[in-house]
Amino acid sequence: MQLTRQRRFVTPGPDETVEALALRALPDQPVETAVDAIKSWNLHIFAMRKPAGLLLGSDVVFVEPPLS
Amino acid sequence: MFDVIVRNGLVVDGSGAQAFKGDVAVKDGRIAAVGAVQGEARQEIDAGGRVVAPGFIDPHTHFDVQLLWDGAARPALEHGVTCIVPGNCSLSLAPLRAGDRRQVVGMFQQIEEMPPEAFTTAFDWSWEDFAGYRAAIEKALSINVAPLVGHSVIRLWVMGPASQQRAATADEIAAMQDLLRECLAAGAVGLSTSFVDTDENGRPVPSRFAQFEELDALCAVLGEFDRMLQCVPEFFATDITIARIDQLAELSLKHGITTTFSPVFDNAATPDNVPRIMARVEEQFARGAKVWPQMQTRPLDLSFSFLRPSLYFARLPRWSRILRQDLDVKLHALRDPETVAKMVADAGPDGGDKMLGRLICRGGDAAPAAMVGRTLRDIAAERGQSCAQALIDLSLENGLDVAFLDASLGHENSERIGPMLAHPLVHIGASDGGAHLASFSTYGDTGYLFSEFVRKTGAMSLEQAVAKITGETADIWGLKDRGRLKPGLAADIVVFDPDTIDREAELPAFDMPGDGMRYVRAARGVETVLVNGQIAYADGAYTAARAGVVCV
Repeated sequence: MQLTRQRRFVTPGPDETVEALALRALPDQPVETAVDAIKSWNLHIFAMRKPAGLLLGSDVVFVEPPLS
Repeated sequence: MFDVIVRNGLVVDGSGAQAFKGDVAVKDGRIAAVGAVQGEARQEIDAGGRVVAPGFIDPHTHFDVQLLWDGAARPALEHGVTCIVPGNCSLSLAPLRAGDRRQVVGMFQQIEEMPPEAFTTAFDWSWEDFAGYRAAIEKALSINVAPLVGHSVIRLWVMGPASQQRAATADEIAAMQDLLRECLAAGAVGLSTSFVDTDENGRPVPSRFAQFEELDALCAVLGEFDRMLQCVPEFFATDITIARIDQLAELSLKHGITTTFSPVFDNAATPDNVPRIMARVEEQFARGAKVWPQMQTRPLDLSFSFLRPSLYFARLPRWSRILRQDLDVKLHALRDPETVAKMVADAGPDGGDKMLGRLICRGGDAAPAAMVGRTLRDIAAERGQSCAQALIDLSLENGLDVAFLDASLGHENSERIGPMLAHPLVHIGASDGGAHLASFSTYGDTGYLFSEFVRKTGAMSLEQAVAKITGETADIWGLKDRGRLKPGLAADIVVFDPDTIDREAELPAFDMPGDGMRYVRAARGVETVLVNGQIAYADGAYTAARAGVVCV
């Protein structure tokens, strides 16, 4: 059965930084732009968490904005 | 000669089939006959005008520690619950080395709001492995227990402090697999994990540091044993919950396992949350995956006083931090005008009117009688104060022993909730029994299912409601010996009045170790409860029967 398309995500690799993850997920964008985008789409990691931005191996990291 | 015959009841057998008038006979702990039963029994129970059903199964509890001094998991059993699943949310009390106990107790305190005295004064903590924990609770069980083993404690056992620091190595993952095998062989019904919880220091629990590959490896072991995976997703965000559903579906399909996640809430602020989740669940089930969303029956409410830390202040970190302190430190802070000014400011430019104004002074404590039942907004207006200031002052004036209730936190629109609960792919559960002791009562969800969604709104039939919390639950969890009134199965039986079964009002009780307080609800309309053929509760009282077992 074909699944409805949902928001795409990745999970962080061991010791992966947000920069490395952003490059992996959004290779066509400059790294700073990619990092800013990743941060803006993942407030559960980069705004709500203490310490903000702590990447965990189990995290769902969205690599695109919410689908309309 | 039978041991027990329950005569003349309306038999609702847990399969969803039409109820019928008949008898249920029990011998040697098992159901011996169902229908028009001939013969005699050592004990007969007249169930005329009453429903005779399989005992209810509660799939999401945290009775892990309470079972060590209370084998009935009171008051769960008197509500008709004959089987509970503890060990949810990545936390269990085994396997756990003695040196790691304090750390895990801290997690239970933070996540499940359990008092420290519950872990230090009421039992002899003599085990480390899962078999030892099983032996410790089996000494005096009145209720059946299907325990999960927690991913966080497995990780802690294998990795020590690194369990909250980094990914596991291949060798460590292999060691976790071996340890999980040992736990499953010792009677664990499955594995629980969490994607949201933190310890008492705000640090993510160990399971959250696991790569997906680690969870995948552990699920391979679950597949070997045909056991369950339970998880707590980021329930506050629909997109993330859907991502978790997809991960669980992949694990389910790859390893042939059943998975469940909880909680799932309906809320007026996010009305598309449940519909979107269920649409994804339906798609994944259509692929063959088993990903069961657990939904509670009761509305969300929460009580607190300044005597204890509370989840209520998760939105107000300064308040939360202060209320976690020891009493003298807390009192000092609450009497400091500068600190209080900051707290009031934190509550919003309206002085907390929007956030706190709807709180109700609930009583049953040191609250002045004239305040009981009134909203904080009303009390604050009378005092000429902001809501936040009135909350602080009223608490201080009464030794902090004033409880407030927020009765409107969501999941309360029965016209919406009823059809959701009746959905064939919704697993009724998520009671959290045995946890959040001073925040809300986690008992009586089953009575509320009948009173609200069978009698009041008619969202489901009596037979459907019974099946949801008996036969269907047993099927999901692989409890092949339970959940139905069928000859040969374990004789877990509840006799209740279909016209009155309900939950009573939520009241404070001081029956925890160290005179600790918890909120409880007594049962209404539940007359007799049999566990493995023995009467464990009847006529409003618990019996001396200790027939409960650890069951898988």
